[in-house]
Amino acid sequence: MAEYLEAMLNPATGGDNLLSFLLSLIWIGFLMIFFLYPSLGQRMQLSYMLRDLERKLQKLRMIKDEIGNVAVDTVKRVGRPESDPSKELERLSEFFMIQPESMDPYGLVYKLEHILETGETTYEKEVAAIAPHATETQLKTLTNLVEILRGINTLYRVVRHYYLLGKKTSNIYMVLQIQMILPQLLEIAESYRQAAVAFSKGQPIGDGVGVLVAAKLADGAEKTRYEIAKDTIVQELELENRKVYVVRAAGPGGTVGRPGEAVKLLVEKLPQNPKLIITIDAALKLEGEESGKIAEGVGVAIGGPGVDKYKIEELARTRNIPLYAFVVFESITEAITPMRESIAKAADQVLSRVKKLILDKVEGGEVAVVAGIGNTVGVGG
Amino acid sequence: MSSEPGLVLGPRHKERYPQPLTFLKCSTCGTENSRPFKEEDYIFKTVDSEKCPKCGGTNSRIVNIYVPEKKEPK
Ligand SMILES: [Zn+2]
Repeated sequence: MAEYLEAMLNPATGGDNLLSFLLSLIWIGFLMIFFLYPSLGQRMQLSYMLRDLERKLQKLRMIKDEIGNVAVDTVKRVGRPESDPSKELERLSEFFMIQPESMDPYGLVYKLEHILETGETTYEKEVAAIAPHATETQLKTLTNLVEILRGINTLYRVVRHYYLLGKKTSNIYMVLQIQMILPQLLEIAESYRQAAVAFSKGQPIGDGVGVLVAAKLADGAEKTRYEIAKDTIVQELELENRKVYVVRAAGPGGTVGRPGEAVKLLVEKLPQNPKLIITIDAALKLEGEESGKIAEGVGVAIGGPGVDKYKIEELARTRNIPLYAFVVFESITEAITPMRESIAKAADQVLSRVKKLILDKVEGGEVAVVAGIGNTVGVGG
Repeated sequence: MSSEPGLVLGPRHKERYPQPLTFLKCSTCGTENSRPFKEEDYIFKTVDSEKCPKCGGTNSRIVNIYVPEKKEPK
């Protein structure tokens, strides 16, 4: 019997090869399955992708909860509310702003500005209500923290939406879309996590580099200062007989101020047209570029929704004022997390280049406007 | 859902939060010192409660706050 089996399994004996027959059968079975169910491969891939997505969604939720805890702790510590602020913070994290209708673009910028300003004021008041003992500086930074909470909450909800929708409809393309951009979204979430802690403690962030340069320019040379728009100050100084007006958000609370409106109001009331307007801001670097690299050019260097940028461009065009800009390159993570050494060092270099530009292009007795753009958390002066 | 959170969090767990340093410049002798960031520090804040390690002067000014670059990533 054993010999017989051996012979059957041995192709050299010429007998029927049972093993190879069985193997062929299995292969044919597989082929039939894939032939009859062509979507099987895709289904396997889908379930693999969904599992991957589920894990990442879980991580997003952990980050969201962590930021939520940081926010609750900070509000309790700084604001000392009488009741638990968790419920209110959750409500604020769902707060939304509806973009104005752009079908008729006339006056769109001002509509957008109105909505943004209403949102900002409302948000600040809401935060003030849940943190009654916070100082004005703390309140501004706290508002930023709650905005981060809102950001991560939106991110989490969108990813969950695509995950659940993909799962429900078994639609691989739905899942594919979110899976493709998920690595970037996770990086942003991770930045939010670190940003939340930075704001909870009031540490200067990378985005503040523009404001920092402006503050350093005015430091020690300032003649007068006044608030010109909400949260935005003008510092007047003289640089080798040239009159320099520095516009920046007032720190050390976390705010970006209203640089557009501020520059507009300032230039309109100046006795003579400024020789140039310089804006300094942080800009998003490309992958592979080094952080803290400085570049200069023309135009208005202001990120965000575009209202401030528009106002300065419009002003400069009607009055024919040249626009110069300096940017410091950094990653999105570096922009909202505590300032790195390379970026802080870049601020000093930008400062000397701004001074040189003013001395080169502006004659004695003439006027220059320098606007430092960015979030001024942790930058006083 | 929470099958393998350790695996997802991965190596980034090491650097939980970047820790900035505060750089103080003594108003008397001009020496610059650094120490870990404390809450309510901000750039250009005048501090009168910390002694200068060199001359013992109590008046100083915060001139910078940043996260130092790591010498070599491990
Ligand atoms: Zn000293």
